[in-house]
Amino acid sequence: MKIDRRHLLRGTCQGAMAVMGLPFLDCFLNSKGLAQTNGRPLPTRFGTFFWGCGLTHSLWIPKTAGTGWEMTVQMKPLAPFRKKLNLFSGLRVPLDSKPNGQHWSGLAAASTGIAPSKSGEFESKTIDQQVGEVIGKGVRFRSVSASASGDPKQSYSSLGGANILPAEPTPLSLYSRLFGPGFQDPTKGEWKPDPRILMQKSVLSAVSEDRHRVMQNLGSSDRARMDQYFTSVRQTELQMEAELQRPTIEAKVTIPEPPSKDLVANNAWPNLEVVTPLMARLGAMALATDQTRVFNLSVSSPQNQMFKPGDPLGFHQSTHEESVDPKLGYQPRVAQYNLESMQLFAALLKELDAIREGDGTLLDQSLFMAFTDQSYARIHSVDGLPILTAGGASGRMKTGYHMVGDNSPVSRVGLTLQKALGVSVDSWGKDSLQVRTPYTELLA
Amino acid sequence: MQTEKVSVQRAVRSAVGLILVLMSGEAAIAAPPAESQVVSLRRLTEKEYRNSIADIFGKEIEVRGSFEPTKRSNGLAAVSTAVLSVTPVGFESFSKMANDIAAQVTADNYRAKLPCAPKDPKTYDEACSSRIISHYGLLLFRRPLTGAELDKRVGLSRRIAGQTNDFYAGVRSSLSMLLQLPDFIFRSEVAIPSGKGKLRTLDSYSRATVLSYLLWNTTPDAELLQSAQSGELNTPAGLAKQVNRLMASPKLDAGMRAFFDDLLQLDTLDTVSKDSLLYPKWGSGMADSAREETLRTVTGLALHDNGDIRDLMTTRQTYIDRKLAVLYRVPFPFTGDWAKVEFPADSGRSGLLTQISTLSMFSHPGRSSPTKRGVALADIFLCLPTPDPPNDVDFAEVNDANNPLKTLRQRLLSHAGNKVCAACHDRSDPLGLSLEAFDTIGGFRATDNGEKIDASATIQGQSFSGAQGLGQYLHDNPRYPACVARRLHTYGRSAQRWTMDDFPDTYKAFQSSGFRLRALLKSMALSDSFYAVPPPENSSTDTAKAAALH
Repeated sequence: MKIDRRHLLRGTCQGAMAVMGLPFLDCFLNSKGLAQTNGRPLPTRFGTFFWGCGLTHSLWIPKTAGTGWEMTVQMKPLAPFRKKLNLFSGLRVPLDSKPNGQHWSGLAAASTGIAPSKSGEFESKTIDQQVGEVIGKGVRFRSVSASASGDPKQSYSSLGGANILPAEPTPLSLYSRLFGPGFQDPTKGEWKPDPRILMQKSVLSAVSEDRHRVMQNLGSSDRARMDQYFTSVRQTELQMEAELQRPTIEAKVTIPEPPSKDLVANNAWPNLEVVTPLMARLGAMALATDQTRVFNLSVSSPQNQMFKPGDPLGFHQSTHEESVDPKLGYQPRVAQYNLESMQLFAALLKELDAIREGDGTLLDQSLFMAFTDQSYARIHSVDGLPILTAGGASGRMKTGYHMVGDNSPVSRVGLTLQKALGVSVDSWGKDSLQVRTPYTELLA
Repeated sequence: MQTEKVSVQRAVRSAVGLILVLMSGEAAIAAPPAESQVVSLRRLTEKEYRNSIADIFGKEIEVRGSFEPTKRSNGLAAVSTAVLSVTPVGFESFSKMANDIAAQVTADNYRAKLPCAPKDPKTYDEACSSRIISHYGLLLFRRPLTGAELDKRVGLSRRIAGQTNDFYAGVRSSLSMLLQLPDFIFRSEVAIPSGKGKLRTLDSYSRATVLSYLLWNTTPDAELLQSAQSGELNTPAGLAKQVNRLMASPKLDAGMRAFFDDLLQLDTLDTVSKDSLLYPKWGSGMADSAREETLRTVTGLALHDNGDIRDLMTTRQTYIDRKLAVLYRVPFPFTGDWAKVEFPADSGRSGLLTQISTLSMFSHPGRSSPTKRGVALADIFLCLPTPDPPNDVDFAEVNDANNPLKTLRQRLLSHAGNKVCAACHDRSDPLGLSLEAFDTIGGFRATDNGEKIDASATIQGQSFSGAQGLGQYLHDNPRYPACVARRLHTYGRSAQRWTMDDFPDTYKAFQSSGFRLRALLKSMALSDSFYAVPPPENSSTDTAKAAALH
């Protein structure tokens, strides 16, 4: 068996050591439960799925907790993956003295553990970026985000503040970023470093050297912005470094030819239904070929503008204008849109589960968090925010459970996910959202 | 006077720079003086970036890549360019574009356009490399490179050329580096003492940059940079000369198109989608045509015809292409792609208010929305933003399930009975309801759900009916031209929060011209207050701003 230095390091610490030194102890902790095939460790991946306007309480929450929960109406599209799912109901979103920013506070609390002061801004890195720092080193892209409804602003991934990491807005743009220039197919025999990258790297290090000069004569807010700028330069440098090395991959995938023409990506359901699985497939291939270890897919803005042709209201407007059916006890059209949102999540899981890797599938080697902005969009409430997770995180996350609300804040899910992914973190979140205890029963 | 002293200092430095240029082909100056401070960094918008590259390198250079989105705040996306940074995803794209542009500029078919050529392309030529880098450095950074900066860029060029035995590979690296530095990607405003108390003013290169992007939406040209370099731009006569020149150019169109595109939030059309079952007429390309119609109307009336900008609320003249003719249900006079047409008086149409852009952007995919329209109009034309509705607002009143035939109007008017709702809806709903005769894609309709449309409205005691009534109401509302003037100031100098009190003379000039855009622009561009910078921020607010970023 051939073991080179890179494999050895990856074996020690998921490849993280190859780029930047992690504390020795963390490496030990991180390596716990790492799946191995043929002596090679498979990387664990993380991802998020975002849809706006939540679900319908009475239709999605199973009556019983634990693994024996009965299938509910709105979870039905996810039935094929039931054993790989966890459902979290009854989570609290305490905002303390912060305002309840409509269609924002809930999603920001779930993805940062901090109630935001301002709508549209995050008060820290979002969870995908926090996790990416640990599991995403040494690969081309620290993270990749895509928006199935065609808007680059529909990304819930951020390094903090008002900047969001833009999402790829069409299947073609996602394809080009992943498999266009700069990509070398690691599944093919031929693989050699592109000499142009070396030159581009020299240019980037020269740019980095100008940091000190640029920082002079700036006010503190502009200094912070330039600090972000040079962080971004550094990440592109790391990307170049990664492009010089052939990734080790297990999965047997064939990178498709570039689509000959782009598809229309917008809020109309017939388009979403086509674009979402396509983006999911490209994302899954990027994960399988180790181009990135973090993939975020959103299908809408928080004010979910999804609409079925013929419905003049659409999802978001329906949540506010459709009456609660007195017999059913819920808004029927809204419930239909909830269900369709879950169909889109199922489309992502299907692609992840279709790729064989090691003894299982890519989904088994991953951990995805599906989250939203409201628990009851009609009145903008956030308490009871639905969160679902999928994937076993290389065996470190137990699945199949319905965790029933025990007054836990929503950030407890984020903490648990990070523990499962080997992020060294004792507590997560701020103020009433700060948590120290993960769902230990879910950690393998 | 201190201002003069500073301009003289700057002029001397510039002159030294100029001499250097003449001597060795290097445009280089000493590092900026200690009393200067960068007070604003604005990330180039996609259009600004593309225009700058086209003007610096020529239109044949292709810019291939995607740009990070902006965000709208205080009514303008331009404001966010002074707040946002560049994310890793954004920089990855800037980096690729830079490499690609630098490769095109050093390719065989372009080399003749460079300021010089080496004797042998396989051998490094320091003088030529330095000349190329200082030439493009000045254009890309909108200021000369300092001596130290130039040394570094030339050093990179030398190293790469040495490694590859390729002169152009060296130049390519240095050009790519210039394109990846924040000095190009952000346009900076540098403040120097004004000599008038604690107020500061922009230095001459910053003035050139502000003027050029405001009036032409592109990077300063050689003449403007020259007037910055000579210090002329910081004298009243020199400033007037350049402002007149820039305003007389047809490029003013591009500048004002960019402003109105931002002001009218036309970028919303990028993501507008319509219900193809209910509105099959809304096809692909419709949004682009609608955007173009509005920009043609604005520049036609305000610039080419030098009209009163208040008439943008009432004019029945517009510009249409074949696609729009179908939606407007008017015959298309077939010469060329676009035609100027006038709607009949009984069409109910009224200026920008009833253009397809406005009507479709602020609607739902399958239905008009008086509230969305009203909220947008109040913000865009009256500078009156509307806060979010209360979280737990009870919509039961608005949605009476037992009376499905009730019109939207009646349902909306029920807000008036609720004090909390009424505070905002009393303002937004009348504006929106008066446009109810137009559906979500801008088509005229006499009925909604079988009910005859009632487009009457009352706002602050003033009653009017339909779009034409609304148009006249806004036309006569002094808040409207004042709002345009304020947004134009903010657009030009986004680092500043402008209030009307900050530029009384400019507004007076605008008013006495009969609200001519050119008069507003000129008076603004010539006034000291436009270039003014308040005294250094006190540290606590600065820290708060920085904290908000993290």
